[in-house]
Amino acid sequence: MSLLDSLAAGFALVGNVEAFFMLFCGLIVGVVGGAIPGLSATMAVALTLPFTFAMTPINGILLLLGVYKGGIFGGSIPAILIKTPGTPASSATILDGHPLAERGEAGRALGMALYASCTADAVSNLALILFAGWLASFALNFGPPEFFALILFSLTIIAGVSGESLLRGALSALAGLLLATVGLDLIYGTNRFTFGDPNMMGGLNFIAVLIGLFAIPEIIAMAWNPVAHLGKTRALGKSRCSLADYLGSFKSIIRGSMIGVFLGSIPGIGAAPSAFLSYSEARRTSKNKANFGKGEIEGVAASEAGNNGVAGATLIPLLALGVPGDVITAIIIGAFMVHGLQPGPMMFVLNADIIYGLFIGLIVSSVFLLLVGSIAIRGFRFVADVPKRILMPGVLVLCIYGVFAVNNNIFDVGVMFVMGWLGYVMMRNRIPAAPFLIAFILGPLLEDNFRQSMLMSGSDPLILFRGPITWTFWTLTAITVVAITRSTLRQKVPLS
Amino acid sequence: MSQKSLHLRLGTVVVLCALFLVFYAIPSFVFAPSNVGNIVLSPLFWPFVLAGLAGLVGAGLLASGVSSDDTPFEDADTGPSDGPAGWLRLLGLATIMVLVMVALPRLGMVWTSMLAFVACAFLFRTRHPMIAVICAIVVPLLLYAFFAHVAGVAIPQGHFVRLP
Amino acid sequence: MKLRTFGSVFALGCGLAAGAAMAEYPERPINMIIPYGAGGATDISARTIAEPLGEAVGSPLVMANVTGAGGATGSVAVQNANADGYTMLFARVGSHSVNPAMKATLPYTLDDFRFVTVYEINPVACAVRPDSGIESMEDLIAQVGEGGVSYSSSGVGSLLHLAGAMVLKEFGIENPLTEATHIPQQGGGAAATAVLNGTATFLCTNSSALASFVANDQLTPLMVTTEEPVVGFDAPTANDLGKPVLNQLVGWTGIAGPDDLPDDVAAKWGDWMATATADEDFRSSMEERGSVIDLMDPEEANAFILEQYTTFRDLVDELGMRIEG
Repeated sequence: MSLLDSLAAGFALVGNVEAFFMLFCGLIVGVVGGAIPGLSATMAVALTLPFTFAMTPINGILLLLGVYKGGIFGGSIPAILIKTPGTPASSATILDGHPLAERGEAGRALGMALYASCTADAVSNLALILFAGWLASFALNFGPPEFFALILFSLTIIAGVSGESLLRGALSALAGLLLATVGLDLIYGTNRFTFGDPNMMGGLNFIAVLIGLFAIPEIIAMAWNPVAHLGKTRALGKSRCSLADYLGSFKSIIRGSMIGVFLGSIPGIGAAPSAFLSYSEARRTSKNKANFGKGEIEGVAASEAGNNGVAGATLIPLLALGVPGDVITAIIIGAFMVHGLQPGPMMFVLNADIIYGLFIGLIVSSVFLLLVGSIAIRGFRFVADVPKRILMPGVLVLCIYGVFAVNNNIFDVGVMFVMGWLGYVMMRNRIPAAPFLIAFILGPLLEDNFRQSMLMSGSDPLILFRGPITWTFWTLTAITVVAITRSTLRQKVPLS
Repeated sequence: MSQKSLHLRLGTVVVLCALFLVFYAIPSFVFAPSNVGNIVLSPLFWPFVLAGLAGLVGAGLLASGVSSDDTPFEDADTGPSDGPAGWLRLLGLATIMVLVMVALPRLGMVWTSMLAFVACAFLFRTRHPMIAVICAIVVPLLLYAFFAHVAGVAIPQGHFVRLP
Repeated sequence: MKLRTFGSVFALGCGLAAGAAMAEYPERPINMIIPYGAGGATDISARTIAEPLGEAVGSPLVMANVTGAGGATGSVAVQNANADGYTMLFARVGSHSVNPAMKATLPYTLDDFRFVTVYEINPVACAVRPDSGIESMEDLIAQVGEGGVSYSSSGVGSLLHLAGAMVLKEFGIENPLTEATHIPQQGGGAAATAVLNGTATFLCTNSSALASFVANDQLTPLMVTTEEPVVGFDAPTANDLGKPVLNQLVGWTGIAGPDDLPDDVAAKWGDWMATATADEDFRSSMEERGSVIDLMDPEEANAFILEQYTTFRDLVDELGMRIEG
């Protein structure tokens, strides 16, 4: 079947109001779900899954994709407004989005988040449509040694989000790495720091840690000094994202989209590291380096481009190999299977109409996201006007519900509270929270892939240098480390 | 607070933590099977590496603490204007959190959150007590309706008053 | 004023709760705990049966994923729940026969649960990459002799972990733990990917997890462990290869409650499951995914699980695979 035939067949499938309606509904559900901390894009997709059983395959899958894409954007709304990432992928957005909101420029930050998301989404979809086969076969070259090198490189992000002191950033990262060792050991299944508690055996829940680290310290700080915020403008106001803002950040947005596409097409990394990597790259190359972390609009653009760039690209391994790249695509693959579709190379031959139908739907989704997102920003406008001393208890209650809902476990609420106090102590001691989070995500991946490589090679460390991919990342790591060291020395701030 | 005092303090704490990990916590709470072939594969390897790195960072903090000057941070937190009341409020919030954990399985999530909301709002000395109380009742109920009936989450109900 | 209203609401609620306790089971929604994540085999199976089952029960079922520690976190949640029949568990082969057989430190045993049914059996298949040069179990065994063979799993104490060792053992490998390498991955999807990208040589897992890879010619099946051939898998059965012991190596999903679950509740579940599994839509969608619907009553289910558990435990003891500490 020629490309034109496939396209025509695809149009025939999606060329009805219902398919677009489903996509639209999906985006609404996603944005709202993503905007509720703890509900997160993952939960929203999982909750929508049963509804798709009764639909035609293309409608069902478009609905899920809508929820997914909407959810990744929606997470940035609470990240900016109340410093609580709605979805793990939006934690990087907090770094600059929340300071902007504190300055009364929430409207500008939200607008930029939306435009960056839509642009990255479009880039990501294009990459999927044009390069799916090529990127997928490239991703299959990633075994444990390649992952190890990639993750080691990603850990250099920590330098970019450490703020005023590299040493305190490293301290924060180490705390994250240590806490991530809690749970059952991957290779031998033995207990590490579980103290015999079955709830600890699964490790600390990521979302509980995330919300505890970012949202709860704000509430505790409110108790310490309830009147600290008075006199600051917080209202959404008239501030908007201007065309100049957008063009100024355009380079970062495109770079972030590319990073997202690259990390998204490799199964097993996910959107949060991508957002952080994009953020740290934007900061590294920006003229306003010093302003990052204090409310730089480009930081918001880079993070949101980084996480939305992943959304289309995770479909690459899914469609081309049948391999889910993260939890969300694992659920979406379930929807394919329920309909008797088997994603993989053969699907491009057997069900080309569905594949092209999905492509058409995806392209439209970027436009719909712009529409739904603008409405959502207007809808959530009121949050910025709520008196802070009423808002904060509300955030607390919302976090309790949300964190419980992630894994239906009261224990996680306790984890959130404890992490909240840890986050508060860190805040008081000027230790940045972002390195902790990155390390908490990447630490287990680093350790697991290292040990898997050792298993593969019979403990021969040379396997970590096999092939051109590992060499590329080792070189990149070396260059970055040298660059960080040099810029630290040049600033004459001795490692601090 | 200055960089000097902060780094000296942090450095001391981190070095002590690293020592605690190496000599007590890791040997007692990380279990490794007896038949591990190679040291790098052991479940103990990574925690020890991390503890070692923590020691290094601690030493680095101490060194930079000694060498940096004693000028206070420009934007240092000067604390609340009402003195020790700040510490009392922190204690109050910690108590609220502990009570929430105790009450969640017994009272249920909805009633617990209502009480927690009111307690926090008054702890923060809100200027709108009536609105706070109304929100305290409405917000948990709305969240319950959403999570339990739209999202299908089994929100804990407690032993006493069950909601539909 | 506020306190008084609250007090009266409180009293009213207590009265309601007391009155309700007399009513017939179930008078409120039943909490069904799925100990594995969304999108996994257990989750899809559970959510597929939820619909016909909810109709049979007559009150809605609230599905809750409680994941972690290879199904242990969710299982413990049910073990500690009130045995009133309002908290039930979707038990799975990993959480309730492999884990108890392998892990000395597991916080529960089989005796902590009362199984009311097993409703689904999943055949297990072993597969390799088509370009690996391995075309049959014989080839695989020959390669183990030469060394360098590894198998992936979804984690320590998973069915895949035990299956790899058990299959090699049955085909005459003296000590599969030292002659082949076990490379655990995070989850079933990653385990299949590991074979796809050459990290591991083979894996043995539920046929449903492999079906799409086999249909796409990305993986070659070597055998299935059932007596009957599996549709879509062009591979000999364990019986064809003369290893009927491997018939024990199957996945299953069942429903369990805490061990002191009352008899009348268990009996009700038996009736409901009979109605639910008779549902045509349910059967066809499950069978499409390669499951075999095989409804067992509580006695059969207990005997089935115990037999599998004993086989696994003997193997674990023989190979020294038990995890202490």
